[in-house]
Parts: sequence; structure tokens; C-alpha cells
Amino acid sequence: MENIASFDLGRMRLSGNQAIARGVLEAGVRVTTGYPGAPISDVQGSFEQLAGNIPKTNPFTIRVGEMLDQTGYQLAAHWGTTTNEDNAAALALGAVICKADFKKREFLTEEEWDLVYGDTVFAKDKEKRIPVGSRVMCSFKHLGANTAADALRVAVNVVPYTGGLGIASGDDRQGTSSQTMQDNKVLFGFHFRIPTLELHSPSTAHTTVKNCYRLFEELGVPFAVIMNYDLSYREVSVDPVVDLDMEVNHRRKGFTRDPKHLVTIGPHIRPRERKFHSKLMPLFKQKIIENFEFLGNRVTEYGTEPKAMLVVNGPFREDFRLVDDDPALKDRLLKKYGDVVVIESNLVFPQPGALYENLVSKHPIEKIYVFEEGYGRVIYLQLLDLVNRRNLEVKILDLGIPYEPRIYERFSYIDHILNV
Amino acid sequence: MSSKQNPAPKHKAADEITYLRPVSNCSGCGDTKVSWSVREGMRRFNRQLKLKGKDRYELIYAADRGCGNLQGYHAYGIVDAIFCMGSGAIVGDGIKESCSEKQIVVTASGDGAYNFNISGIKFAAKNKKFGAINVIYNNYNIRMTGGQIPLEVDFDKEGSAFGFEMIHINPYRVNDNAELFKELYGRYLNKEKIMVVADGVCVLDMGKDAKNSGIRMGHFIRSDECLDLKFAKERERVAREEPEKLKDLPKFKCRLCGIGLRCHALLDNDPGKCFGCGACIQFPCPVGALSFEGPSFSTSISMTELKKT
Repeated sequence: MENIASFDLGRMRLSGNQAIARGVLEAGVRVTTGYPGAPISDVQGSFEQLAGNIPKTNPFTIRVGEMLDQTGYQLAAHWGTTTNEDNAAALALGAVICKADFKKREFLTEEEWDLVYGDTVFAKDKEKRIPVGSRVMCSFKHLGANTAADALRVAVNVVPYTGGLGIASGDDRQGTSSQTMQDNKVLFGFHFRIPTLELHSPSTAHTTVKNCYRLFEELGVPFAVIMNYDLSYREVSVDPVVDLDMEVNHRRKGFTRDPKHLVTIGPHIRPRERKFHSKLMPLFKQKIIENFEFLGNRVTEYGTEPKAMLVVNGPFREDFRLVDDDPALKDRLLKKYGDVVVIESNLVFPQPGALYENLVSKHPIEKIYVFEEGYGRVIYLQLLDLVNRRNLEVKILDLGIPYEPRIYERFSYIDHILNV
Repeated sequence: MSSKQNPAPKHKAADEITYLRPVSNCSGCGDTKVSWSVREGMRRFNRQLKLKGKDRYELIYAADRGCGNLQGYHAYGIVDAIFCMGSGAIVGDGIKESCSEKQIVVTASGDGAYNFNISGIKFAAKNKKFGAINVIYNNYNIRMTGGQIPLEVDFDKEGSAFGFEMIHINPYRVNDNAELFKELYGRYLNKEKIMVVADGVCVLDMGKDAKNSGIRMGHFIRSDECLDLKFAKERERVAREEPEKLKDLPKFKCRLCGIGLRCHALLDNDPGKCFGCGACIQFPCPVGALSFEGPSFSTSISMTELKKT
């Protein structure tokens, strides 16, 4: 039986950063590491306060801190002490590879379990349970991923031992407090090839983060969540009930030896690298489709014979929900695109190709319009690849924007969708 | 052997032979000797506390990249994790966050990796939650990739400034070092921070230095008490008198020293392969059959000191 500690935050507005921190705590995370930098500092800053390293200074940490003390929640936080993002990621790696406890399978079948865990020291487990340990969060700003790239790339080579590791990246695509306006989706998606999501709202971020831990821990792969500058700092009213997963937080500690997995030398990593790309990646895609709504995504059909499909991601998705509330906007949408299928998606990588194929075969869709923020065009390029490989009779149009607009530019994402 | 799926390479030269053998370091490699002491120290620590079975303390060894640590994996199987260059110490501290209280984490770097991520080692020194034993394999250069000269390090000043207690060891004094590690494991549990610098672990370099200094290094000697030598004579007799029984005999009787120290010279009983490291002087041979003749690096790794001997 799950051991959940619930409490009421009361009336409170949370920023995107605090929403991620809340999701992390609800997932029962025990170790948090990171390196500060706008716009993500508040994530690890919250943990730093909650772990008692620095005084609690805001209503969120004061209220949650009381609850953590009452419930006996275990939390270790290492922030600026790690000296840089690479160390923060390496510390997180060390903490996450310790697996000495087990949980029952929730998402994987027995055959899929064999695929993920079949060549580890846990392969002989008759019940085919999931080896688990501390859940870990590592957060840094977008540039931090450049510094941490060494450790993050190795995290892929020791899959499935890195299941339970979440990485939060604050993308400063405005260049407000950074020397570059980097799009980290390129790094996490195309370079590290780990499941990557762009969160779209502080009101739902905690649920997505929590569910990512549940799914991707079992799949044995780390995941990344990204927020842009505006959403990191914007405060919104949130669901006040917080559920802490104490069972996860109080898992047995211990390191299980498996040097064939954890000593990353050529003979060990070569077969695993092949397996990751050829076998595990299709499994991840399949599981993402099976748990599409669980991860906070939604497919909506407007009209009966849609000839267009919109993929709205990140801040575009945040604004798109206005269509449901405002009939005038809905009319403008239908006038602009006709009947339309809309995929409101957090997912950046990997894109669930079979889902698109299914929708394209089910409806007479001629064009797919992709709305994403960032010069990497990670979703667009994946869909383009899908259409070419599967020979689909559909055009992909990139209608995203390369950088996050500054506030004084008066940019409206919904206007962009409806007027572009 | 070729098959349909894996055909034999077409352009392989007729006289080309590929030897399949495990990765192994030089006979006198100081890295291997330190690994032996780290492992043996843990055995003695458990024995001292009279701990058995599941109650025993367990060694977790988080290493950096480089030959100093690869030998620990290949030769001794004591290495548990090797990730990025320079990450050994900080990965070790991550492991400390999630491992059990019965597991003692030792981290290790070469001197190149020390420079690569000095801040990770500093983190281990400053983290008040846990003790730290950080071993540095100091061979004064970046050996594995061709002998580049690294940034000079004054371990005593730097390590002390971080907050480590600095201990220099001669890697070839294996018994002394095992006793030292036995003591250090206890101090680790008291959250003390210790950096152990094993100086002069590359016997190739030291061998050259000795040669250039005109020092003729010594070599090991086995007395007739050696179980393997005795057994070899027995095998010869059986081969001569009862050849049909030969196949039932094991090839060796003991080989503890050669296997323990991962020394090809001892394994092959060939003093010609001996680098003169002298690690066998302190090896606990069950019958006391090992001795050493001439100067050895276990006496000193300083050429000036060796000249005096």
C-alpha cells in the first residue's frame, strides 16, 4: 500500500520553479543537486532552504518545510557547493546508481522488463521487480548543460541504473541574464537522447514531473524537463493539496555492485549504446504513447473532418488553452485552419511516431503545423524525419519561433498561432 | 572462428596472430600494488572488528579514468564505477548519499584526473556529512596517453588547504599500506578526510630513471620452500614415471604471490621480467619462500636514496 502524506498548502501562488520543486518532493526525491543561475535558481534554492542549509525565506518553503519536518521527509541538497554543473550532475549520478530496494512493475510487461534489466545483476529476480534507490533531481540553467555534458552523456551509458534521475533546465531564450540564448532541447533530445519535456504551466508542472519520475524510473532512463524564462518566474494559483510519496522517500539505501554496467569502458558500453538506440528507444516511444495523457499531453479534435494538425508545445500550449475558454478564439482557429486536430504536448523528445501515423491514417490530414519555441526545431525535425521514413502524404510546416520574446515585445503566442 | 554472420576478415595477413588476453599492467606497476593494499586493508579491518557475513563492511570504489584505475577493475575487480575524467571523487560523494552505512566509499584518481577536476575533490573535502579517503596515483605524468607532462601539483600544500590529512605512501610496501588502509577505514567512519598519495606508481619511468642513474635494480628470489617450485618437481616426476596421471594433476600449487600482486615475473618464475619493485618483500607468503636481492623501489622511490643502498 502506498504511503502518501497529504497536506494543504492553503491559498498560494507558485512560480514555475517552485512548481517543479513541488513535483520533485511529491515524487519522494531524496537527493537534489544543482548549480544556481537564472532562471532556474529557485528550484534548487527551494531544496536548499527545505534541507535546512539556508534560512526559509518565502511562504512556499516555510509551509512545505513544516510539513517535511512533521512527516520525517529525508532531503539532501547540494547547490553552489558543487562548484559547477558538471560536478552537480556527477554527484547526482553517484546518488542515483545506488539500487538496493525493489518496487513492483507498473508500466513494463515481463518481456519489456527482460529487455531493460536483462543484462544487469538484477536479471535473476524471479518476480521481475524494478530495482530502485534514491530518486534524484539535478537542476541548472541552460548553459549548465554545456558544462555538465560529460556527466550527462555518461548517464545514458549506464541505463537502466540512471532511472530515477530527473534533470531540470531553465532555458533563458531571452538572453536576459546569459551570454547566449541557447535552446537546450537540442542537447537533451538530439545529443543526449533522453526523454525531454518542455513544461507549459506552473499549475500543472508538478504533476508532470511526478509522473515522469514514475514512468521513466521504471524504464531506467533519466529524463529532462525544461521551462523558459517567463514560465520559470511567473506565479499562478495552484492546486493546494500536496501529496508526498513517503514510501519512495524512505527506500532502503545501499549500493549493489555491477561493474559491468557501471565501469564505462569500451567493451561494456558498445553493446549498451547499440541497445539503447535500437531497442530501448522504440520501447520508450511505445511507453510514451501508452502513457500519453499520464505525461500531461492531450489530443483534441475540433470538427469532424480535420485536414490540418497543430502541434503546440511549451508556451504555445500555455496560450492555446485560451481557445477552450474563449469562443471567439475558437471561431478564429476554425476559420484559419478549418477542422483541426490539436496535439497539446509537453513532449519534445522522443516524438511518438506511431501516434502521428495513426492520426494521419484516421483523418484526411494534409498539413501538420508545428509550434515550438527555440532554434533547435527539435519537434519539427523529428516529424519531418517520420514523414520521410514512413512516406506519409502530409506536409510539415515549422511555425515556431527561434527565441523567447522579451516582455516589451508584446508577443502573443495565441495571436501567432491564429495569425501566422 | 568465422560464420555466415561473422565472416573472417579478408585482408588478414597470414602471419598475423591476435593474442587474446586480459588487460594487465606491468609486473612492477605501483597501481596494482595499491589496489591490493586497499582490498587487503578492508579484509583486515573486518577481521579486526570480528565481523562476518552480512555484518562485514563492504568496499565501494569509485574511480577516475586512467590505467591506475583500470587495473583495479581488470586485475582486482575492486572498481565499482568509472564515469567521466575527474569525476571519481564527486561520484563517490553521490554514492555516499545513497549507500548503506555498512559500505565504505574509497575514491581514486590519477594525478592527471586530479588536475582535471580539482573542484570535485575539494567538494569531497568540504562535505561535512561524510568521511573521505581519496587515493591519488601519482606517476608525475599523464602516462596512458603517451607521457605528457601535466601541471605540476604540490599535493601537500593543495590537499592540506582543502582540508585533507595528507599521507604519502610507497606503493610497493604492500603490507604497511594494507595496515594503513585498515586504520583509515575506521577513521573514515569518524568522518575524517584523508588523501593518500601513492608516489611513483609508474615503474617504467622509475626503471628508466634508475638506469640513467647507474643503479642496477635487484630481483626476487624464491627459496626451495616455495610450494610451486616443489610442486613443479613433483609434476616432473609424475610426467616421467606415471605420465597417465599427469592430466589429473593441477598445473600449480600456490601462485598466491603472483596472482595477489598481479606480477608476471612471479607467475612465470622469471627474474628476467622483474622490474625490481620489491613489492614481494612484504607479501605474506604462507611459507616465507620469497626474498629479494639488490636494491628495490620498496626501499625508496628516490634515486638518491637508492644510490646510497
